[in-house]
Amino acid sequence: MLSRVADSLYWMARYIERGEHTARLIAVKLESMVEQTREDADASWHRVVEALSGQEFAPKAHDAYVITQALAFNRVNSSSLVSSLRGARDNARQVREQLSTEVWEHLNKLYLRLQPVTAEAVWGHHPARVFREALEDFHTLEGVVYSTLSHNEGWHFIQLGRHLERAQLVSRLLDLHYRQVPGVTAPKYFDWLVLLKFCTAFEPYCKAYTAQIRPEKIAEFLVFDGEFPHSVRFSIDRVCDALFRVAPAAPPARRAVVERLAGKLKATVDFGQIEELMSGAIVPFLADITKQCEGIHESVHLSYISYGAETVL
Amino acid sequence: MQQDALAHTEDFGGPDQHQPNRVCVPGRDAPYEHYTLGKPYDEMFARDGTVHPHYAALDGRLTTLPPGELLRRQQACELSFLHQGITFTVYNDNQATERIIPTDLLPRIVTAAEWARIEAGLKQRIHVLNLFLRDIYGDARVLKDGIVPRSMIYGSKHYRREMRGLPVPHGAYVNVCGSDLVRDEAGNFVVLEDNLRVPSGVSYMLANRDVVRRAFPAVFRSVGVRPIEHYPNELLATLRSLAPFHEDVSIAVLTPGVFNSAYFEHAFLARQMGVELVEGRDLLVNDNVVYARTTSGLKRIDVIYRRIDDDFVDPLIFREDSSLGVPGLFNAYRAGNVVVANALGTGVADDKAVYAYVPRLIRYYLSEEPILDNVETYLCREEKSLSHVLANLDKLVVKAVGESGGYGMLVGPHATQAERDDFAQKIKSDPDNYIAQPTIQLSTAPTFVDGGVEPRHVDLRPFILHGEHTTIVPGALTRVALKRGSLVVNSSQGGGSKDTWVLSE
Repeated sequence: MLSRVADSLYWMARYIERGEHTARLIAVKLESMVEQTREDADASWHRVVEALSGQEFAPKAHDAYVITQALAFNRVNSSSLVSSLRGARDNARQVREQLSTEVWEHLNKLYLRLQPVTAEAVWGHHPARVFREALEDFHTLEGVVYSTLSHNEGWHFIQLGRHLERAQLVSRLLDLHYRQVPGVTAPKYFDWLVLLKFCTAFEPYCKAYTAQIRPEKIAEFLVFDGEFPHSVRFSIDRVCDALFRVAPAAPPARRAVVERLAGKLKATVDFGQIEELMSGAIVPFLADITKQCEGIHESVHLSYISYGAETVL
Repeated sequence: MQQDALAHTEDFGGPDQHQPNRVCVPGRDAPYEHYTLGKPYDEMFARDGTVHPHYAALDGRLTTLPPGELLRRQQACELSFLHQGITFTVYNDNQATERIIPTDLLPRIVTAAEWARIEAGLKQRIHVLNLFLRDIYGDARVLKDGIVPRSMIYGSKHYRREMRGLPVPHGAYVNVCGSDLVRDEAGNFVVLEDNLRVPSGVSYMLANRDVVRRAFPAVFRSVGVRPIEHYPNELLATLRSLAPFHEDVSIAVLTPGVFNSAYFEHAFLARQMGVELVEGRDLLVNDNVVYARTTSGLKRIDVIYRRIDDDFVDPLIFREDSSLGVPGLFNAYRAGNVVVANALGTGVADDKAVYAYVPRLIRYYLSEEPILDNVETYLCREEKSLSHVLANLDKLVVKAVGESGGYGMLVGPHATQAERDDFAQKIKSDPDNYIAQPTIQLSTAPTFVDGGVEPRHVDLRPFILHGEHTTIVPGALTRVALKRGSLVVNSSQGGGSKDTWVLSE
């Protein structure tokens, strides 16, 4: 597979994952804010803003309308929902010939539908709906990717991008809930429920731990559960699977660099225990996961995408 | 009658329309109220207003469709293009908007007999153009015999000295050709232009077919339209036939990238052929062998279907500021380690002056008469023609030979006396650089405009494939000037396209 093509598929998947994550956070937040006090809702919005934007575009006001416009529809904000979709689609267009018509048209339609939307246009009644509809489309898109593309090297690059992005997004979200931030109200019972919903985890969590909401159980579930698709461990397992399947004929020395990093990250989540992470240790642990994910990203790029041609001639 | 049967089968799931088959006169009855027949040949109506037999089925459908139905189908077709991403980008106010290239729903229909003549004529033409290219990059017999002036070839900016003495597989320089044909007032097809460099548009031919067949399924079935879907297969076979060996040929389509207006087509063809789509930055040359950079390492490439102009192919040989091409590609090509299609240097044979010589070339190489005529062309380099051109500037279109896209051109009937005088000076000072042609009335075809059906001018671009064999898929891109009265069919100037149905009998 062409290196440029692999790179575009990888980025397409990362952007799709980021878009889906953004849509879900905003949808859940818009739906749940009505049940919170003003102060709690502000703190909760603050965490959403932190989770979804860099410093530069973080909206200053705690106003839901302003935040929604900035995080979802601001075209200049490179991490907004519409920018993520544009990123996904631009990359898909680069490799149009590698995608099935179904995948391309689903992504393109979603992009064309959301591109002209503004917060103003959806605020009048039930603003969460546009995000719920987008989520349905994202879920359909994932299914279409799964069932209409060959599960070949390109597909494994898509898995790699999706799950590397997901592991980092979930880690960041957890970090924001378990870290003590001066001046911001600490998460309460309702916020832990919302955290589960941010990760589509409420029902699966209840099945595993009953409806007893306890922060350390939530952390255990979202970090270490091996079966739930939005847990950090699940995503890292998929990352490792994908890394063992891409670039099968690459020189062993280059593969070894990537595989070593993948194995190390897998060991971190496979053999970690929630007991070791309580009383504050979870924050550096999540930072370590994020750093390792970034390391894998760089190492994949160096080994398979931008390697010097002179090394293989 | 046939039309009655159609009324029952056309709309799947819709109510039957028991409407009597009525005769609708152009210029009087809906949907043809604004259909004015003039001097140009019309594809659908004879001069007396009767419908040509091969358009009868379409006429039956158009006159029985409920009002608004045509518009609904047109919109469905446009939406389908938008979703498929068959668009080009317009930039204004730093905001990029994507527009679809207008497609008209009403097919342009070509009879079997007309097509047989077109096909034979184009095969003859591509054969001769390839013989000519082989000749001028080889022994130059045609120049020695004085058929074509030396200065015209060696002075052409598209002549590639680097190609001299370099054999190409099967002597096939032009592997993909798109020739533009128009109909004169008498209804004869004549060749307006040959596009021998990197002709585009074939993806629109296929995309139009896809939507129009769905818009008129019953008419399509009843008239017997010849299929064109095998074009990508034929293209692949043509490219494969150029490789020096026959197993494991590695083929790639070379595109300038996603910002090129024909990018959709490049991706489309690569996908339909199942070959790699590459950009210049994906390729590198080592020891005169071309490789693509893959995740696992370097992969050798044997045949490149390039959609980049000569000038940009290799910055070491041609334009050094090109970042689209591949440094070293030409030397790999010279060494015979890679085949490039079309070959480099084919542009010398499609400039406007050489065009005028094609009928003579057909007689010279084949001792045959041209099956398809040229548009009558005066070469200002020839004394007799020059005086005729200067005396009739108000009736002629004068073009500079090396230019395209409407530059360096005088449209006599629309110019002022001062402009004509000015241009006459230019012609006199450099007659070799100019040709002149009478203004051509392109034929008109029924087109869906503003809720009704009106005549609009069209041309016809069939695509010819030439490798070990010559193949012409029975279809073409019909370009249509959507503005009333306009003769300009280019998509950059308000042109659209139509599906073209070649009938099997």
